[in-house]
Amino acid sequence: MKIIVAIKQVPERDAQVRIDAAGKWIEEADLHYAMNEPDAYALEEALQQKEKHGGEVVVISAGPERVGSTIREALAKGADRAIQIVCDDLGKRDALGVARLLAAAIKTESPDLVLTGLQSEDLGLGQTGVIVAELLGLPHATLILQVEKTETGLKVKRELEEGWFQTIELPAPAVLTIQSGGNKLRYATLMGIKRAKTKEVRQLSAAELGVDGAPVVTLDEITLPKKQKSTQMLGGSAKEAAAALVEKLKFEVRVL
Amino acid sequence: MILTLPTLAEPQHFHVAEKLLFIVLAAASGYGFWRRFGPILNRILSSKKDADFRLFPIGRRLWDFFWQVMCQAKVIRQRPLPGLAHAFVFWAFCAFALVTLNHCAAGLGLGFLDPTGWFGRFYTYLAGVFALACAAGILGLFIRRFLVRPKWLGETLSWESGLIALLIFALMATYLAAFLVPDTGVAVRELWWAHTLVLLAFLPLIPHTKHLHLVLSPATIFLSRGGFSRIPPLNGDEDFGLVAGTDLTQLVSLQAYSCVECGRCTEHCPANNTGKILNPKEIILGLRSYLNALGPRSDEPLLGKYNSQEAVFECTTCGACEFQCPVGIEHLPILVGLRRGAVNTGAWEDQHGAKLFLALERGSNALGLPAQERDKFIEKNALPIFDGTQEYCLWLGCMGGYDPKGREIIVSFVKVMNYLGTSYGVLRKEKCTGDPVRRLGNDLLFEQLASANLEALAQNKVKKIVSICPHCVRTIQEDWKTYGTPPEVEHHSEFLARFADKLPRATNSASFVTGHDFSRAENADKTAGALAPVPPRNEKIVFHDPCYLGRYRNVYDEPRQVAALAGELVEAPRNRERSFCCGAGGGLAFLGEESGERVSHVRAAELAATGAGVVAAACPFCNTMFRDALAAQGEGAPQLLDIAQLAARGLPQENDI
Repeated sequence: MKIIVAIKQVPERDAQVRIDAAGKWIEEADLHYAMNEPDAYALEEALQQKEKHGGEVVVISAGPERVGSTIREALAKGADRAIQIVCDDLGKRDALGVARLLAAAIKTESPDLVLTGLQSEDLGLGQTGVIVAELLGLPHATLILQVEKTETGLKVKRELEEGWFQTIELPAPAVLTIQSGGNKLRYATLMGIKRAKTKEVRQLSAAELGVDGAPVVTLDEITLPKKQKSTQMLGGSAKEAAAALVEKLKFEVRVL
Repeated sequence: MILTLPTLAEPQHFHVAEKLLFIVLAAASGYGFWRRFGPILNRILSSKKDADFRLFPIGRRLWDFFWQVMCQAKVIRQRPLPGLAHAFVFWAFCAFALVTLNHCAAGLGLGFLDPTGWFGRFYTYLAGVFALACAAGILGLFIRRFLVRPKWLGETLSWESGLIALLIFALMATYLAAFLVPDTGVAVRELWWAHTLVLLAFLPLIPHTKHLHLVLSPATIFLSRGGFSRIPPLNGDEDFGLVAGTDLTQLVSLQAYSCVECGRCTEHCPANNTGKILNPKEIILGLRSYLNALGPRSDEPLLGKYNSQEAVFECTTCGACEFQCPVGIEHLPILVGLRRGAVNTGAWEDQHGAKLFLALERGSNALGLPAQERDKFIEKNALPIFDGTQEYCLWLGCMGGYDPKGREIIVSFVKVMNYLGTSYGVLRKEKCTGDPVRRLGNDLLFEQLASANLEALAQNKVKKIVSICPHCVRTIQEDWKTYGTPPEVEHHSEFLARFADKLPRATNSASFVTGHDFSRAENADKTAGALAPVPPRNEKIVFHDPCYLGRYRNVYDEPRQVAALAGELVEAPRNRERSFCCGAGGGLAFLGEESGERVSHVRAAELAATGAGVVAAACPFCNTMFRDALAAQGEGAPQLLDIAQLAARGLPQENDI
């Protein structure tokens, strides 16, 4: 089974993100980057499928040179080889533009399964995987927690709202976007990193793939949300105040 | 009336036939010895070379040899009476060197020691004194092993030990008896042959039993790594730690064959004492069994038939085992080596372990919390930021930066530093020093953390670090050396002890409180709340020696000096080098403790049983472990405070520790 995993490199979670001078993107200079966590779950799923059914796991990632470190991490965790789409203007492309790049590269591989994370931790659009499926002409399913190979294709478990799940069967090849938490992630090992040095990383450019970047969705501006603070004093006896608090937490703040 | 002194009798001459018989028997005995010892020596020498072994500086080696081998210091100090008995046996063996040589030479008609001459008389008497001591010693040890039967010597009786004891006793007896018979006649000849036969029977037995340590342990002690828990760096691209037989180095093999099975390591192991399967002695003997069965060129995993992965991951790396070992076995590098073999190859699948590693892969601290939490703490307490101009960099560490109790320690320590006018700052960003990851054997992650930290420290021009956590101190000072040059670092107990005479003593003992939230002194006033008022306790303080400060760093007095500022010290039964671990080390604070009693509860009970009103800690991990353990003891359990908090009590204050 040949599985392709599309991975995005995003600013690490602890990063102090600042908006750039033009207000159109973030300051990238001092940031440290890491693998997008839902994509890490996608990679984990792919590796487990390979352990069960044999085959090959190929990771693909688009972005500037620094993406190489995330690709190596994926190879260290067990992927067999990688495709790096070198492009320095990823921030200026919209989801369709990125999907076009990925789909063009994936098409040449003719995979049995394409996995990617549900959404990215920076933009959180949740669209790229779905658009890739459409461009490749493949069926897709999203919010996947479990994947099972069947006689006729795949059986997957999707996470819905309020603790509900849905099981779907679909034919392979297909594209699945993976939700975090479905599996336990494996840690990177020294042996993995050493072996990764010898694994193939094929580099492609946008031009080689014959994809142009004109976006259909343009980013207008990035701003910080306005902070508000409002304090309400709840009076009455302890019992009354507690009841009022619970009501507010349930219906106004909606955390219960 | 002239007193005739007893003289050691020696047969004056032997028939040629007797000499030939002696030569034949001696050769057979030597052959018997070599037949068994040769392969063992071969296995040791054909193991992988230790890449980091350096013969020099030789001073330390010579001193260890003198102190531990010749003076038998460790043997005696840790188990005095049996140790002394053993020392007598050993010293007798040394004293007998010349005697035995002369004995064998005499058998060939070449005896060189004249027992009537002044030197011969002096020497034979000296050997006689030792022989008496040895005989007494070996008899005592025999009684201990076979009649008293202490549990750490094992369940099954060791008949080989009994046989060896008998042979040693016989050697001494036949020697001493020779003082009581004349030079001529049958008796002296019979005694000579008796002594010879016992000797020749003893020799081939040596490599068959743990008595191989006679031959090996002086070398083991001389060639040891030195230091404490000195973990060797990995060597080359194919080295992942102790995975299979091919990874066992000469030093490890030598140590495996040197084990005398005394059980001192196991006796003091916190895991073994609380019902876990880990047994340090069995780890070493497991390696020995592996070498005997498969040899040092085998690809079979070390963690398999002869040692279990489960046991190896129960170790808190407290070091009690390595500290106790009288023959120079260094358990910690072996245990960490076995863990490396499992973790660096991904063979270890543990959900807590993976969680810890993933938290440090993605984030900056072992607790998996966002770095902003540490920033908020710094801001809230207005801690000065290190900018290269201050003298000290105060290292918060994962506990000091993110854990509520750790933060309390920092706040108190900062109060003291402010009082002393110390110039210090905290770094804007810190990554975990990597201690739990290093002890669990994840070299990939450890290298990343150590290298990133060293770079950041150099960039920030940090020259001196003071830390509240002995794990940070150890890791920065020793373990980071593989990847660069760490700045100077000391523990806050060492810092505070230097200024102990400038710090005022705490005067009001009434400020000690009990209650469920044991260390929150501000709750003392809230007696109107849920807790009933409890009369103030005594002001005795029991200090718990952290493993990484005590055994690892040899710091025992400084924290006591600091704790003494706040009250009267009492000692726990197991203290100083024998301190019983809190259970958090070796990365275990981050793993689940699945079986047996909880190490922290056992130790907390021991500390509480001293009757002290306060348990003084000097490590945020000990603090965390005891907090839960003491809470489980309910009302009346002692209060738990770090030495920084105790020092801060004496400061002229706003009464808000």
